[in-house]
Amino acid sequence: MSITLDQVTKHYAGVPVVNDVSLDIAEGEFFVLLGPSGSGKSTLLRAIAGLSGVDHGRISLHGRDVTHVAARKRGVGLVFQNYALFRHMTVADNIEFALRVRHMRGRARRKRRAELLRLVALEGMDDRLPAQLSGGQQQRVAVARALAHKPEVLLLDEPFGALDAKIREELRRTIRGVQRELRITTVLVTHDQEEAFAMADRIGIMNQGRLFEVGVPHELYARPATRFVATFLGAANLFLARRTPDGIQVGGKTMGMAERSPGAPEYEVVAVVRPEEVEVAPARETLGSRYLGHGVVDEVTFTGALERLRVSLDEAVHAPLLAAGDGDGSTALQVTRTRHAHRGFELRQGQSVAVGLRRVHVLPTPLSSFTACATTAELADALSRQPLLAELVARMKTRVALRVEPALGDAAQPCAGQGEFFGTTVIAAEGDNTLRAEWLLRRGVKDLLVLPAHAAPPQRVLIHWMGDAARSATLAVSASVLRHVPAEAVYVGIFPGHLDSERHSHGMRELLDARSEAQATHGLEMRTELHFGDVGKELTRRLAEAPAQMLIVGISELEHFADALRALLDGGRWPVLIVQRGAP
Amino acid sequence: MSFRKPSVLPGFGLTFGFTTFFLSAIVLLPLAALVLSAASMHWSDFVRVVSSPRALGSYRLSFGASLLAATINLVFGFIIAWTLVRYEFPGRKIIDALIDMPFALPTAVSGIALTTVFAQNGWIGRYLEPLGIKVAYTWVGVTLALTLISMPFAVRAVQPALQEVQRDLEEAAETLGAKRPYVLWRIILPTVLPALLTGFTLAFARAVGEYGSVIFIAGNLPMKTEITPLLIVIHLEEFDYQGAAALGVVMLGISFVILLAINLLQAWGRRRHVRAAH
Repeated sequence: MSITLDQVTKHYAGVPVVNDVSLDIAEGEFFVLLGPSGSGKSTLLRAIAGLSGVDHGRISLHGRDVTHVAARKRGVGLVFQNYALFRHMTVADNIEFALRVRHMRGRARRKRRAELLRLVALEGMDDRLPAQLSGGQQQRVAVARALAHKPEVLLLDEPFGALDAKIREELRRTIRGVQRELRITTVLVTHDQEEAFAMADRIGIMNQGRLFEVGVPHELYARPATRFVATFLGAANLFLARRTPDGIQVGGKTMGMAERSPGAPEYEVVAVVRPEEVEVAPARETLGSRYLGHGVVDEVTFTGALERLRVSLDEAVHAPLLAAGDGDGSTALQVTRTRHAHRGFELRQGQSVAVGLRRVHVLPTPLSSFTACATTAELADALSRQPLLAELVARMKTRVALRVEPALGDAAQPCAGQGEFFGTTVIAAEGDNTLRAEWLLRRGVKDLLVLPAHAAPPQRVLIHWMGDAARSATLAVSASVLRHVPAEAVYVGIFPGHLDSERHSHGMRELLDARSEAQATHGLEMRTELHFGDVGKELTRRLAEAPAQMLIVGISELEHFADALRALLDGGRWPVLIVQRGAP
Repeated sequence: MSFRKPSVLPGFGLTFGFTTFFLSAIVLLPLAALVLSAASMHWSDFVRVVSSPRALGSYRLSFGASLLAATINLVFGFIIAWTLVRYEFPGRKIIDALIDMPFALPTAVSGIALTTVFAQNGWIGRYLEPLGIKVAYTWVGVTLALTLISMPFAVRAVQPALQEVQRDLEEAAETLGAKRPYVLWRIILPTVLPALLTGFTLAFARAVGEYGSVIFIAGNLPMKTEITPLLIVIHLEEFDYQGAAALGVVMLGISFVILLAINLLQAWGRRRHVRAAH
């Protein structure tokens, strides 16, 4: 591996700006770190360059641990957005800077300079001052300067940001060409997805300090694993859908894309439909894809090669659309059509059309939507507006449904009906929490959030499970939560009895297993801690240590759950998310 | 007006008129009067006054101490400006405000304060005395007073320039393998050099003209700790207006030559860059 990051974390004023990032970048690879501004991508690049230290984790370049090595000894070349050329030096002096620092002889220096100027197509510009060059030329000089000392890694921090479109295109080709010719491992930071697609061998997408997903561009686009990547990388329509034994159902209609799994329980999922995978036709019969329902064209925009439509689905379709297009909160389905499709079926505003879906991708995230559950409609409504829940809903681009269970907590009474529980059920923490939690968990709730009225977004999430059957699901839920909250994740392993060497080594093995599974299967980076003693007491002690913490606890059966956690739950001080998954 | 060109900013004629008028009334006319007053002396009288050993001693002290003070401020002003621009620490705002204090203080007060501290029985002077270091009533005290009152000029001239040195430049140099002193010498100093020279010039000009603070700490021994402005005042007190004017003209001449030299140096530095480009 050329660049290896292992749990790199950097805090700024207590908030993690780079949060547990682990990543391997191969020799000669062109890797693009993509993310919105403030996602931590530039900070991560600076950490690789050695310009900012890390609070936790390790950085290796070509197998050499450089975590505590000064920037000037790391052998990297860095290119800045605003060029950062030395304005009082000529192009030649700028390029030779690194060579002079290394006391290279004059003749060798001039030879290397000529080589570099040829590489970036600036022959004969040796004696110019930076101020006499155009923006594109200045950035070429910056690239040549960064390559002068033959670094093993080239780092580019938004290098095209200050350039206009045409120059940008040209410089992109130059840089890609240089990279191919030298086969130098390169990391580019950008917020422009088009740029990422155009240049990357692989893309890593960052948000809120976390590295969400890593993959080759077309894979990431076609099969995103998270809501954020689905909506950030191109436009996407997000539906709340059901996975049933017959396949994926959107709005009650089976889209039939997934493999059948007879006998499996039905559950709620989030489905991604790209705008170009939506088909519109004059009537249901003329659709070439699965029929979803009818809709009305709200808006037609011509953008050159493509036509963009906004289509409002009829009320009767009952296909809950969580987000459409660029996630601007509009509830109209976004559709793009080619010129060819446009010629075949011309559309105007207000026209009624049949809508079909060509391809539906289901996100593997276990958290789909929330249901605020209380004994009266008023209480449920108040709960749905709790700040932490509202923030989670907004960040996850999902919704909160309300559910009234007048007999909540009364063991003798059944559910008030309204069908099965889907998604994550939420109850307010108000005293007899264990009783009500158990009541719901016995009646089919899989994920239950017990929420204190004043709980704020957590800075640290503790993860624990009782029973190995719940391990995988707990990790999956934790990964999903942590993708939407900029908090650090800590797995707390607790073992009964006192610490001795045998128990300790057994515990360490468990921790390592948990960590590697979290990393490999769920893309979740977490710290690990080992404690000995009573589960409820240890968790309570750990939660009380710092403000703004949250607990995610997995359970595989209900027998011992109440006894172990009664004191912690009934105290009602912290948000607790209970993940119930029995043995298969 | 033949040199008037169409411009987006109106009012050139009016503002140029004002500029000429004010410069003439406030700067050129009094200077001309000074020169004229001196010119009314006989040449031999003029030479006798301006080349008397006492006058020569005062030039040496005035210009020597001023150059030394400006040089000290060049170094320490840069360090102070650097600290204020680069670091975030409690009390930074207060220190920033303190820099301007010598501007606001009547110079006589600065002089009295310095004398209190550095006199043989002063707070610091009493500890320096046994070491054989005399500050008050020596050229050291003069330099100290001049350094104090000209310090704000050096700091304030360099501060904005340092603020504009992008951190990126240093970081770029660092990733290219340069050590801190090399970055300071090859990147930061060349970038702020014009501002440093400006600060030096201003500090020097202020120090040469200083009178109030120096007379308290200098002791004013002829030939030893007497500055030229004081000598001028002495001439004035003896109603020897012409002698005072003669000394003034000499000061004016020397100051002008030094300031011109610094300006030419700056212009030469700029031209060198441009020439390197062709």
